[in-house]
Amino acid sequence: MNHPSLRISFQAYIRKPIYSASLAVFRIVFGLMIFGSTVRFWLKGWIDELYIKPQYFFHYYGFEWVKPIGQYTYALFALCGISALMFALGLWYRIAAILLFLSFTYIELMDKTNYLNHYYFVSLVLFLMIWLPANSNISMDAKRKPALLNRFVPLWTVGSIRLMMGILYVYAGLAKLNSDWLLEAMPLRLWLPAQNDTPVIGALFNHVWIAYAFSWFGAIYDLTIPFFLINRKTRPYAYLAVIVFHVLTSILFPIGMFPYVMIVSALVFFDSTDADRLLMRIKQILHSLPIAISDNVYTFARLREKGVLWMLSGFFLLQILLPWRYLLYKGELFWTEEGYRFSWRVMLMEKMGYAQFVVKDGVTGERIAVNNNEFLTKNQEKMMATQSDFILQYAQILKQHYEKNGVQHPEVYATVYVGLNGRRSRLYTDTSVNLANEKDGLKHKTWLMPFSDKIYGL
Amino acid sequence: MKKTLVFAAVSVLVSVFSFMSCKKDDNNTVAEPGLDRAPMLTNYADNYIIPAYAAMVKDLKALKAKTDAFVANPDAATLSELKSSFEAAYITWQKTDVLEFGPAEDVSLRMYMNTYPVTITKVNGNITNGGYDLEQFGNKDAQGFPAVDYLLNGNANTIELFTTDAQSAARKQYLLAVVNKMLQKTEGVSNTWVSYRNTFVAATGTDVNGGLSKMVNAYVLYFERYLRSGKVGLPVGAMTGVAKPELTEAYYTPQLSNVLSQYAMAAAIAFYEGKSYDGTGSGASMKTYLASIGTKDDNGTAMADLIVSKLKQAETRLKALNTPIKDAVISKRPEVLTIYDDMQQCVPLLKVDMVSAFGISITYTDNDGD
Repeated sequence: MNHPSLRISFQAYIRKPIYSASLAVFRIVFGLMIFGSTVRFWLKGWIDELYIKPQYFFHYYGFEWVKPIGQYTYALFALCGISALMFALGLWYRIAAILLFLSFTYIELMDKTNYLNHYYFVSLVLFLMIWLPANSNISMDAKRKPALLNRFVPLWTVGSIRLMMGILYVYAGLAKLNSDWLLEAMPLRLWLPAQNDTPVIGALFNHVWIAYAFSWFGAIYDLTIPFFLINRKTRPYAYLAVIVFHVLTSILFPIGMFPYVMIVSALVFFDSTDADRLLMRIKQILHSLPIAISDNVYTFARLREKGVLWMLSGFFLLQILLPWRYLLYKGELFWTEEGYRFSWRVMLMEKMGYAQFVVKDGVTGERIAVNNNEFLTKNQEKMMATQSDFILQYAQILKQHYEKNGVQHPEVYATVYVGLNGRRSRLYTDTSVNLANEKDGLKHKTWLMPFSDKIYGL
Repeated sequence: MKKTLVFAAVSVLVSVFSFMSCKKDDNNTVAEPGLDRAPMLTNYADNYIIPAYAAMVKDLKALKAKTDAFVANPDAATLSELKSSFEAAYITWQKTDVLEFGPAEDVSLRMYMNTYPVTITKVNGNITNGGYDLEQFGNKDAQGFPAVDYLLNGNANTIELFTTDAQSAARKQYLLAVVNKMLQKTEGVSNTWVSYRNTFVAATGTDVNGGLSKMVNAYVLYFERYLRSGKVGLPVGAMTGVAKPELTEAYYTPQLSNVLSQYAMAAAIAFYEGKSYDGTGSGASMKTYLASIGTKDDNGTAMADLIVSKLKQAETRLKALNTPIKDAVISKRPEVLTIYDDMQQCVPLLKVDMVSAFGISITYTDNDGD
């Protein structure tokens, strides 16, 4: 892009006007979906179960200050749900987008036990949406101030969401290019037979070649689907594939809202003319709706646009680099999970652990066997038993608890066994290391035992 | 674009067929009947669980009859008969204890039957004060086998305590109440299983509500907490380094402790292998299911077989212990610790390797995952 004419053409390209209907429709469906999933979360009783009942919470490194807020957690979810509705309606859009981003992200940061890639994706998209003029069509804001109506927005606005989706899919695909996934059909080889009582197709899952077919298809799907979606000719088939693929995964695996998030989000790849045509049809029936009909183009103040574009460049550079950070750590990524999160590694591992802790009085030498159920929920214990940063935080929780209860200079020792993708379980931690002395951080954890096998690939 | 599509389709097909052909020797390429969960659940329900509760009820009825006889006429002969029926029932319990899910879990059967150590002050307080309610949670350590053990074997002068002692009448009543409670609870579970059986067998899913998940969770929890820790780990103080002989099961009948733990270990193996309750037959089981999934260790040994050999190693070592556990945890500490280590080796194999291969959930939260 050093060549001046290239730069101009790129600048012109990303500012090419496209119908704002595309952005507005995305705003509506995305907002409604977050609203729906907040209600679902509430009705399932998960607020109490995941954020109020547990005694301890696992924080993200650097976000120790984000803590659950007891009964007020309900208010936080209410705020999240209400701002999602406002967001969908385009009512006080900018404020709604900021509140939604903050409340949703705060909820996700409260306990990393509940980390899910699609929550992370929602947070990222909401962050993008703060900066985009998604209320410039079919919004309550435009009803109040018709001057906000613009039938066109610059391409980069919708383009940034498409790029985010593209990054997610391609990285999810790259993450599958490893020997466990492609050559052993792990973990699908274990997961599919567990679903062999699914109606109609269930019996197929007893065949190991189906696991291979699913693995390979999944990898190829993830790597290519954004390109097929962006291409006008292949788009209808690609979107059909999106629906089939994600509906299938939702039948087979307990992955909650993720398939629906993806099915809905992929709509953003459709031509903005399609979205505009849809709105025009609606306008014919419901005349009073604030839908842009005159050909105005939303224009950013020059400096503001420049600022936002630079910021987004930084954002996407970070998104592109973050999944590779695992290369900075030694050891097998799947084993240590150092650099595993925030990298679109979805459903890649069958990993299970068993962790026993002993607390030793540093003065008397007296030892206490810890019952994990006294400190952690089943879900937290399960997550803790396979992830090094959880193990360390738990050791610190134990240290503080026993210190308060009269154990002098408590030492914490862990015996953890972990099984990964059908391999025999192995000792995960160095049982002789006093974890009370270990500091949490981004550095490699030296007290992890090395992985006894080798996984090739990315 | 068309080219890319064709390429994608072809590469999928090529990869699929190449794997099919190079894995021909692998018996997994044919549909694996061993992966059908319904026959396994049926085998467990019909050939082990229901007969086990029937046997338990039968033994408890016998215990009740002998208790009635003893209470009516407490002498050396009735006491001796009562003790042997107590021991027989306690042994049967070792084969039933592993089944704490579904109906048993709903009524916390284990808690009523075998919470030990028994709290003597509570037992004696209940006898002296009367007005006790054995249904209450607070009385869990004042009833069941451990309370009967204490009442029959806790003192040298048992017959006196049931005849000339000032509290003899109240003591008789308490013994009867405890035995009746055990029978009532077990009969309830046994009866519920008759209708629960179909629910259990039909729940072929692997989610938290599936029959397999419930059974395996119960089995793994039992092995870790009640067999390994309860019978050996806690008395020997494997994790704390301090022996606590008073935590031994059947503390007042020392020679029985070893027998009970041996039966429990044998039952854990038989259950894993899908043996029928009377041991004469066997059917689809956790072992055959695991074998059908086909996970192996680094040397190519099937995990299904490795688990059996590790369980049997622990069993052999347990059988070799010829000193009552409550004494051995002090006098033969290294030997008992070795037994514990052998049992401990089985825990990750069951709790991680088996559960992981089964693709079942060990969490009770039906939460999303990815």
